[in-house]
Amino acid sequence: MSTLADKLRGLRRQAGVSVPAASEPVSAPARRSEPLPDNLRALLGVRRHTRVAPPKVATAAVDLPGGTIAPGLQLCEATVAWPPAPPLFHAQFAKLDAWIDPERLVLFDTETTGLAGGTGTRAFMIGVGDWHEGRFRERQLLITTLAGESAMLDCFASWLKPDSVLVSYNGKSYDAPLLKTRFRLQRRASPLDGLMHIDLLHPVRRRWRGAWENCRLATAERQLLQVVREDDLPGSEAPAAWLGFLRGGSAAPLHRVAHHNSQDLRSLGGILHQFASPQDDLHPAD
Amino acid sequence: MNALPNPLARRAVRQDGALAAPVLGGDELAGRLAKRYGDRITGAFVQPAREGRFAPLPGDMPPALAQALRSRGIEQLYDHQAQAWNATAAGKHVVIATPTASGKSLCYTLPVISAAIRQRAKALFLFPTKALAQDQVAELLELNQAGGLGVKAFTFDGDTPGDARQAIRLHGDIVVSNPDMLHQAILPHHTKWAQFFENLRYVVIDEVHTYRGVFGSHVANVLRRLQRVCAFYGVSPQFILCSATIGNPAEHASALIEQPVTAITESGAPVGEKHVLLWNPPVVNPDLGLRASARSQSNRIARTAIRAGLKTLVFAQSRLMVEVLTKYLKDVFDSDPRKPPRIRAYRGGYLPTERRAAEREMRAGQVDGIVSTSALELGVDIGALDVVVLNGYPGSVAATWQRFGRAGRRQQASLGVLVASSDPLDQYLVRHPEFFQGAPPEHARIAPDQPLILLDHIRCAAFELPFRDGELYGPQDATPWLQVLAEEGVLHQEGERFEWIADSYPANAVSLRSVADGNFVVVDRTEGRQTIVAEVDFSAASLTLYEGAIHMIQSVPYQVEKLDWTGRKAYVTRTQVDYYTDAIDYTKLKVLEAFDGSPAGRGSAHHGEVHVARRVAGYKKIRYYTHENIGYGPVNLPDLELHTTAVWWQLPQRALEQAFDHRQEALDGFLAAAHALHIVATVAVMAEARDLQKAVGSGDGAWFATPDANGRAQLRAGFGEDEAVLQGPFVPTLYLYDAFPGGVGLSAPLYERREDLVRLARELVHRCDCHAGCPACVGPVLAADEQQERSLKSLATRVLDLIVAL
Repeated sequence: MSTLADKLRGLRRQAGVSVPAASEPVSAPARRSEPLPDNLRALLGVRRHTRVAPPKVATAAVDLPGGTIAPGLQLCEATVAWPPAPPLFHAQFAKLDAWIDPERLVLFDTETTGLAGGTGTRAFMIGVGDWHEGRFRERQLLITTLAGESAMLDCFASWLKPDSVLVSYNGKSYDAPLLKTRFRLQRRASPLDGLMHIDLLHPVRRRWRGAWENCRLATAERQLLQVVREDDLPGSEAPAAWLGFLRGGSAAPLHRVAHHNSQDLRSLGGILHQFASPQDDLHPAD
Repeated sequence: MNALPNPLARRAVRQDGALAAPVLGGDELAGRLAKRYGDRITGAFVQPAREGRFAPLPGDMPPALAQALRSRGIEQLYDHQAQAWNATAAGKHVVIATPTASGKSLCYTLPVISAAIRQRAKALFLFPTKALAQDQVAELLELNQAGGLGVKAFTFDGDTPGDARQAIRLHGDIVVSNPDMLHQAILPHHTKWAQFFENLRYVVIDEVHTYRGVFGSHVANVLRRLQRVCAFYGVSPQFILCSATIGNPAEHASALIEQPVTAITESGAPVGEKHVLLWNPPVVNPDLGLRASARSQSNRIARTAIRAGLKTLVFAQSRLMVEVLTKYLKDVFDSDPRKPPRIRAYRGGYLPTERRAAEREMRAGQVDGIVSTSALELGVDIGALDVVVLNGYPGSVAATWQRFGRAGRRQQASLGVLVASSDPLDQYLVRHPEFFQGAPPEHARIAPDQPLILLDHIRCAAFELPFRDGELYGPQDATPWLQVLAEEGVLHQEGERFEWIADSYPANAVSLRSVADGNFVVVDRTEGRQTIVAEVDFSAASLTLYEGAIHMIQSVPYQVEKLDWTGRKAYVTRTQVDYYTDAIDYTKLKVLEAFDGSPAGRGSAHHGEVHVARRVAGYKKIRYYTHENIGYGPVNLPDLELHTTAVWWQLPQRALEQAFDHRQEALDGFLAAAHALHIVATVAVMAEARDLQKAVGSGDGAWFATPDANGRAQLRAGFGEDEAVLQGPFVPTLYLYDAFPGGVGLSAPLYERREDLVRLARELVHRCDCHAGCPACVGPVLAADEQQERSLKSLATRVLDLIVAL
């Protein structure tokens, strides 16, 4: 802990702010001792002493999901049989007056660092699902360093075409604005602007609000697709899983996050199929 | 309903007699009041009428805008408005510090609208209140309509509905908001405002003199964050600031935006003759030194003015007082319910529709008397008035002039009367008419690098945009602070960059009006309610919120029934008791480091860092008016500890031995002198009363002095012990310290003006009308003191004489 931190903690206690005990040492690259600006030193009465940086936490060889496609960026790719591609459909259920060719569909779901909103929240994983050569293809981008974000955004942008139709669950209010903010902060044009977007939360609500206890994705997948997840990492734990890894912890939880995201994408595809082609039987093959 | 006027009111009217015969102008009324009540008037002066100084509408103004002005009757500009136009055209940052009602808004409206027309450039306006913001937008829209200018202006604040917000972000040319909104809603979501920021050309900030002290230090940091975000979008906006008259407008404006600023201080607006009277209510009980209430005087003056046919505005300090004064005046003037009301009350709490209606009636001249809180101090157009009466000093000379500025007509003289209450600050100001006549005595100060404030805002800034190692924030390297935040866990450092990774929204935890958020909330539990009625700083909580305390909120007494210290809540109920409470506080200071020092008379003055320890040992119950001590009560709260900055004076033992017979006398003198110096210093740095505190003790923290039941000094070594036995040299020290951990930037300017302060304190004591001492000079004297040489007043004078510059 630095002496400035001690001083500030003291001042905050004097100001009546309840200060939590210092958290365990964060693994950080060795700090050079930074001299405090003179006025600060005078004001805070900091006595000079050099501090030794805490030793770096030893990290085991990391076993990350997928493969590295750029520094700090992993890609996991898989194709599965279920959910099957919907036929050509009319999107009136989503209040869009258009016939949609399933080849245009881009399903997406992000995992983020939290729900606080604003410019301080970022996506650490972008999962994309589409139908490719007759099968459901999942591609998940995961950043393992903060610096990998721009590569992730560029890769995601490269998967989008002007006629792409986005499909999400609450993405219009949450995922899309968040990604737009991230593109902006990285000084890139947002590829999401102008694309058609089917946010399945709204059609689900219109049909089943009042009939189910809520319209969360977990409820919808259980009710419509009879999907029951086993040993699933709850979405609310995803931010902590990634932060723990970032701070030098184990990569094991990241696999569980990827698994959770993957299931989200499949359920998204299944629910879309329900609306696009309601008469089809959609029991998952596994 | 009783159609006859109140008999007391009728008697009052009869008493007024000839005084209330119709007059032509404020000067005549001033003369009559001076003749009848000369003994109450402590100062009277006249500001002569001034011709207007004009300039033609600038040639480089868009023709549509010039046309719109002409269609609203504006054919030329005042001199200072033209200067503002030229300075902004030259790309400079500008502060306009001309008096109220000099047409400051055109100084910023014209450049902003021109840029909007020509380049679709955008502007952000920051106003301190929603009412002002709404009025400004209304004005802009009128001008826009008059010229078909196509400029879109919107307010953006807490009341703006969600679906309107996106439209404003995308399409607003002029966004009118306030510093809190900028801090909590706009900057942390700046990507949603990308289009707005990319085209942002001007930032207009009104009433910048109110951004001082703790609040000003926060706002300066919000502006740092704003400029940082603008730099991200590749723009560097121009600032146009408006201020009331203070002693240092250019310096203050420059400190707020950390850029050089051109000041425009001479107004070209024509001004009618203005008479000013400073009024001190008469003493009604010489033994106790009690004066008549300010309310009784304001009532009489307003009644006289209205009966004399002059339109009058009375400013009251609280909503309760507005109601009281309105009732008195309505009893006299609105006794016939069939006639339209001549007296109107105005408060911030009224609905916007009610306020609009009131303003319309005032502008139309249908109202003869208005009683208002400070809500009417700023901006809003209510037509011409003849007389303004201030019931109590509004807290600064600048605010006094702003209120006086409400009265004024071209063709006849107007009158402003300041009626002092018994508050020591009021008494001090009303006896110094020169503060109101000459150069403004007040300097606005901010401390943007206050450690806790700085930490909070660097945290918010890091949420908005990542930091690079070695990046500057304001004038200093942010790296040590970023490391602290990384240790806290909200930032993650990767290579050169510090990025936000926590799941929290830091701006929500930062209040722009307090230092770190330990504030207490006061909850009214009268008759089963649960409403929050006030907020109290952490450092003031143990002095005013102990169980049993009588706590005044808006001049209404409440008693504290329960204090939840860890929950930071105090539960109060309305009370009717005939006493007030005064905490017995023991304050011990220890000097940690002296930054600077110099001789002061036969002693020395210093400024530096101190450690303050304070315990509230109990409280006294004191009967109103007689000041009798009728009992004590216990207080059991945690001690307060502060590391802060202070300015202090010391006298060597030899000088004291020569001047005083006993140590007791010297200590009494120090306590009394501290009281006077505190009053004087509070005014000099425009501090709120709570920002600056006083104490007397030894420089090394060995002992401190505290007033006993009779107001005499009692020496103590520790919080639990009784009278201490002094060993070693006797070097009493008088401290004035910043009441916030880390200081709040008051000590340095006080140290710079130390010689002035001592001189003014001496004058204050010398010129006080009281016999042996009173709260307005050296502190309350509870027992009558027979011997002149040993009175607190004479002792204070002796101490001050010793430290005054030779």
